[in-house]
Amino acid sequence: MVETSHLSKLYKRGVYALRDLSLTVEKGEFLFLTGPSGAGKTTLLRLLLREELPTEGELKVLGRDLRTLRPSQVQTFRRSVGFVFQDFRLIPRFTVFENVAFVMRVLGLPATTQQRKTFQVLKWVGLQHRIHAFPEELSGGEQQRIAIARALVNDPQLVLADEPTGNLDPDLSLEIMNLFREINTRGTTVIVATHDRELIRRVGRRSITLEQGRLVQVA
Amino acid sequence: MRMLWYAFDEALSSLWRGRRSALLAMATIAIALFVLGASLIVTGNLDRLGAEWARAAELSVYLSDEVTPVDRHAIELAVARDDVTAGHEFVSKAEALRRFKQTFGDLAAAVDNVGGNPLPASVEVRLRPGTADGPGVEQLATRLRQMTGVADVRYDRQWLTRMLRGIRVIRGAGFALSSMLTLAAVLTIANVVRLALHARRDEIEIMQLVGAPRAYIRGPFVMEGVIQGGMGAALAVLGLGVVFAVLQSGYLMPLAGALNLSSVQFLSVSACAALVAGGMAVGCLGGFVAGFRS
Repeated sequence: MVETSHLSKLYKRGVYALRDLSLTVEKGEFLFLTGPSGAGKTTLLRLLLREELPTEGELKVLGRDLRTLRPSQVQTFRRSVGFVFQDFRLIPRFTVFENVAFVMRVLGLPATTQQRKTFQVLKWVGLQHRIHAFPEELSGGEQQRIAIARALVNDPQLVLADEPTGNLDPDLSLEIMNLFREINTRGTTVIVATHDRELIRRVGRRSITLEQGRLVQVA
Repeated sequence: MRMLWYAFDEALSSLWRGRRSALLAMATIAIALFVLGASLIVTGNLDRLGAEWARAAELSVYLSDEVTPVDRHAIELAVARDDVTAGHEFVSKAEALRRFKQTFGDLAAAVDNVGGNPLPASVEVRLRPGTADGPGVEQLATRLRQMTGVADVRYDRQWLTRMLRGIRVIRGAGFALSSMLTLAAVLTIANVVRLALHARRDEIEIMQLVGAPRAYIRGPFVMEGVIQGGMGAALAVLGLGVVFAVLQSGYLMPLAGALNLSSVQFLSVSACAALVAGGMAVGCLGGFVAGFRS
């Protein structure tokens, strides 16, 4: 599913955000990326989503070599990947329904498919009753569940989440992690970046620790 | 088709959200195309005026009072044989006086007071279309001036040449001014679209992350430009129509009459359509420039 070999990312100012990272994530696996701020977690996720290109090393995701993808192939690749942000990134002027359906709308799917799949995924995250609400009317936990619904609505093979519980209290964080576990039990590969070691311990899945861009621990 | 509908829908929503700046962009393009349209109306009618004058251009050969029938015959023969002439007519002194009195009735008494007939006989030469501002007429005039019995030769070439030069200057100035205004319109539209793009940067980022086709990302911005350009151009055509209608009876028709122009014409339907299409193209360019970096 994900294969990196001696992967490095060097920024222009001469700082390595990632250095010599070799990692394999199997299909259907749940992996935590952890480490302090600036360890390289977000950089790795950005590379996995092909938002950036590595400076050195090999990078394969879903069987594709991300270093050689053309722009049109990047678009196709990203349709197989769901992404969840720490700050939710919901569109304020859209309702809950529109925020989730938006993904299918811009992919040109028919309106009936948009409706059916949006209802399904909102029901799955337990927010079908807030369908007409706007993001500002929702709690932080609810907003993150909508963001997860948006990431899942296109049936991705891989879900990437960058500090998805960073703005939530511990109970809500566990609730959100349980959603990721459910996603994973359906066969979707999940990679979650978090610095919350307690949460990792409670969920109990494989984790890798990064420090200054290097892999320092696999647990 | 779904993409077009999506782009149109999003563009309308975006225009409504930023309606103040959108109105500014539309006004800019409307002004630019109003100037271009007005310049086209003026130069189009001046072209017609030039063509009508060229068709009606005559060379007048004034004969001296002492001209003999033989001299007159030689003059008429020289005129008839020249390539630039389409026909000619001899106007006697009596006929010239009759025409003068008919045209300038108020001055008829003054002519009578002078005593006798002060007007010369003449040969009025009709020129072939397209020859009035050519060298052939000048050569014919020179030859005629040297013939016995010819008092003077007058023709409209200088007027025509000056007028055609004036038309070219007006057309050039109109195009230069409207080109500058059109450039300003492109930049205004590009900035308005860029504002819309900035307001929607979160949406665009999400669209990019979910792998939306580029047409879905850029389409609404290009469409926004097209709508602004099209509406601005339509406003310009409407404005031109209103101004033309208001001025037509009071000023334009009397002016046309004074210039011997049969009528003053507005832009043709195809020219109006071309203006609107041009406005849409300008808007499209502005939207594309702004959306290119998305």
